[in-house]
Amino acid sequence: MKKASVEAVVGVFMLVGILSLAYLSIRLGKLELMGGDFYDLSATFNSVSGLKSGASVEIAGVEIGRVDRIELDPSRGYMARVLLRVRTGAKLTDDSIASVRTRGIIGDKYILIKPGGSDKILLGGGKIRETESAVDLEQLISEYIHGKI
Amino acid sequence: MKLIFTVISICCIFYLTALAWPGKVTAGEVAVEVKKTVDAVVVIVTDNDLKKKQNGQKRRAALKQAIGRIFDYTEMARRSMGAHWKELTLVQQKEFTDLFASLLENTYGGKIESYNNEKVLYGKESVEGTHAELESRVITARGNDYTLGYRLLRKEGRWMVYDVYIEGVSLISNYRTQFNKIFNERGYSELVKKLRAKSAEQAE
Repeated sequence: MKKASVEAVVGVFMLVGILSLAYLSIRLGKLELMGGDFYDLSATFNSVSGLKSGASVEIAGVEIGRVDRIELDPSRGYMARVLLRVRTGAKLTDDSIASVRTRGIIGDKYILIKPGGSDKILLGGGKIRETESAVDLEQLISEYIHGKI
Repeated sequence: MKLIFTVISICCIFYLTALAWPGKVTAGEVAVEVKKTVDAVVVIVTDNDLKKKQNGQKRRAALKQAIGRIFDYTEMARRSMGAHWKELTLVQQKEFTDLFASLLENTYGGKIESYNNEKVLYGKESVEGTHAELESRVITARGNDYTLGYRLLRKEGRWMVYDVYIEGVSLISNYRTQFNKIFNERGYSELVKKLRAKSAEQAE
């Protein structure tokens, strides 16, 4: 009898441990189990060099979502198609501009949204048409140093 | 006989498809439209008579007219202003559009007038409903080249440019950031004052 209760305590302890571990992984991995608070948008760029999935999507420095996936868009001459998960509270108009920006000079890449003034709000599955690709700073510097042909 | 029937029915199918698809755009329509304006601009800037100093104003007016045919200044002003556009009264929107148009004319007019046998090659064009994008490459006489892209909107059956990007950097995006900053920090009246000053400075 006594042995059984000790085993039960160990079992419960293990269970709590596993649950804590799961909770920690989800928090640290920034996984979203329930997708209720987000909607998806897509944007096509000429180049998103350096941008990674999970990168933040910001307006005025405030995070409003994350980059969900980056893939090739063969229908448009191999451009990069970025899928964004944006919080439901952040309403974006159809003339918003999405730019790939760098934090600091050599920092991480993120997506900066400049909101527009249109009356049309983008719904889930919508597309941000106006985009600005990542500026290749290294290329600019090398052209400046070695001269452009 | 059978062959003739087949050919006729194929033709019918093509014809019906074309009818059922009224929004379809013939390939290169946007490029043709933009090219027409670019060619008109080149004719003006290479005109020796207009190059004379006393004809400076006439030349600028001709340029303004040629470019105005395809540039939608109201749309450009609205997009540059971004979220603050709705806060303006109709009178302010009109005032801002005029100021923005003259800023663009004075900023880019000089650059266009310094045309020096640059070649323009038209690249890929993508049309999606009422939106279109056209890329072109400008090759200077010295052999340097850069990408010049246009974003267009179909309005009343015509393609009108609302954004231009050079090497991927958008004009509207640039102005939207700047206008937004000035508007938030110092308000509309200060923005108008700044635009007037800048425009006058560029015109000199």
